[in-house]
Amino acid sequence: MSTEKQLTEKESLKLISRTIYQAKGYFYETGISGIIYGFSILICSVLTYLTEKAVISFPFHPFYLFIPVFFVQSFVQLREEKKKKAKTFTDEAIDFVWTGFFLSVLVAFTAVFAGINYMAISIILILTGLATFLTGMLSKFRYHIICSFVCWLLASVSFFVQDARIYLLLAVTALIVWIIPGFILNAVFKKQQHG
Amino acid sequence: MFKELDPILHSQLRLAVMSLLISVKQADFIFIKEKTNATAGNLSVQVQKLKEAGYIDVIKEFKDNYPNTTCKITKKGIQAFEDYVKVLQEYLQVKQP
Repeated sequence: MSTEKQLTEKESLKLISRTIYQAKGYFYETGISGIIYGFSILICSVLTYLTEKAVISFPFHPFYLFIPVFFVQSFVQLREEKKKKAKTFTDEAIDFVWTGFFLSVLVAFTAVFAGINYMAISIILILTGLATFLTGMLSKFRYHIICSFVCWLLASVSFFVQDARIYLLLAVTALIVWIIPGFILNAVFKKQQHG
Repeated sequence: MFKELDPILHSQLRLAVMSLLISVKQADFIFIKEKTNATAGNLSVQVQKLKEAGYIDVIKEFKDNYPNTTCKITKKGIQAFEDYVKVLQEYLQVKQP
């Protein structure tokens, strides 16, 4: 591109629309943090189910395992953010959605202290559906939009399953919301890097 | 009577940089260089001109021990870009039969 090339009005408008289109197409997502997050929820859920069914015994609530994983996942996320060459408004909006989700989940966990454990899981499933739906709509990733409806269906089912089996619903949610899309995004990312 | 097109924006590379920055929250120098196909030297000069006009903020920092330059459009830059597009539209409306 030359230094001071003067443009006609039409050329200017063409340049603006072409550049805006190029910038909006920027996408950098390895999917790794989603895979870590999904597997940790899946493992914690299955362990909690097995503990409640007295198949195994655990010295503490299996979900406490999630605390160190949370720090690892945050570290991975921060490293990925640093590798991004540009931050789009869509990236920022999705970050806000998941920050809101995380804070809402923390609030939902107060239900556990009120002795209503299983209802808290139902609420978390509804919130997961909402965050997934918004992510899908913002990123135009159809898989996430479909996932959100499955999530809401699981949330509805969970109201009728207010026992240990609810953790299996949570495990299924982790699989469809984080693990599968994580692998899809990772495959797309690898393809982009090699292509 | 038409308004004058902003001379700072009415240049190919500077307009491309501003169009990129209006579409994203912030972008690295490397990203802008890749998208505009400009040379590093030329881009540096144009980025500096936009910075001096107050249209963009340039943040220099270290990322994994390497220097990294990030650019972000300012409020003044957004206003200038919007005004530029409005004037362009006025020109084109008159030219169209």
